[in-house]
Amino acid sequence: MGLAALLAATLGIGLALRWQQNRPRRDVVHEVVEPARLGAERLGERATLLQFSTELCARCPGVHRTLASVAEGQEGVLHLDVDLTHRPDIAKHFHVLQTPTTLILDGDGAVQTRFGGVPSRDVLELELARVTGEPVHA
Amino acid sequence: MPETARRGIDPRGPRFAAAITSVLLLVTVFLSLTGISTSKGTLTAVPRGFVVDPDGWAVQAASVAQRVFDPGFLALAVVALLFLWGVASPRTAPWGVLYRRLVAPRLAPPAELEDPRPPRFAQGVGLFVSVVGLVLHLVGVPWALPIAAAAAFVAAFLNAVFGLCLGCQLYLLLQRIGLVGRTAAA
Repeated sequence: MGLAALLAATLGIGLALRWQQNRPRRDVVHEVVEPARLGAERLGERATLLQFSTELCARCPGVHRTLASVAEGQEGVLHLDVDLTHRPDIAKHFHVLQTPTTLILDGDGAVQTRFGGVPSRDVLELELARVTGEPVHA
Repeated sequence: MPETARRGIDPRGPRFAAAITSVLLLVTVFLSLTGISTSKGTLTAVPRGFVVDPDGWAVQAASVAQRVFDPGFLALAVVALLFLWGVASPRTAPWGVLYRRLVAPRLAPPAELEDPRPPRFAQGVGLFVSVVGLVLHLVGVPWALPIAAAAAFVAAFLNAVFGLCLGCQLYLLLQRIGLVGRTAAA
């Protein structure tokens, strides 16, 4: 009885977390990000996929691969991966409480969307298309 | 350490280990729910007979030896030792060896090799949670065993089934509140 409840609760948590990870959050501060602060030279001309990772994050390398290949397939889209392990100041500034966290910045470098966790490739591409104003091909 | 960090591991290995760990932890939760940790009713010897207290926690009345030989305690101690093994020597930890010997040869080679540090950190979190449960049980706190085992189970199960790593997500939280390595580079 107790075990069944524990299993059901854990499954519920897992499903809820997975659902949450694929939900783009657009109610964010549309702050303009300065690339120099993140140790980058520039941002993408049309959009930037800004990823926050740590050294001890098991899912970050997978998200890194996804984002890198999404950015590679599109002109003017840049993927930046910032390691927060030794930069609590950046983590604090962007209120990052979990890694991976991915922000989608528009062509002006303003934050448009935030994903916490591991979003699927489809959801990412759809959201990127929305930010860059591309018509979405189904 | 830098050597192992460069080499990288098959990311499916830790998930396989987490699956076995979560089964062990589920057994541990069951054993600790049926043992003295959660049961009430005590029998205390007094000079001329016994005092029965139906509302007293069994674990509080038990001797330290009885607490140690509770099946739930022993099971969680075994899991804690496995976590310790995973932290101290990840390459020789039993489930990892089992994965590399028996499972990996039957699968396609991994698409990418990954950093072994995150799963090792997660083993450390598991170790911490189980040791807290064991110590609290030893000093006679009721429900310490099943709660600690259940917490570790949730983390292991989410890792195995959904690929979520709570221990890893926790890292940034711990760092933000200043508990782990705040080696701020300029």
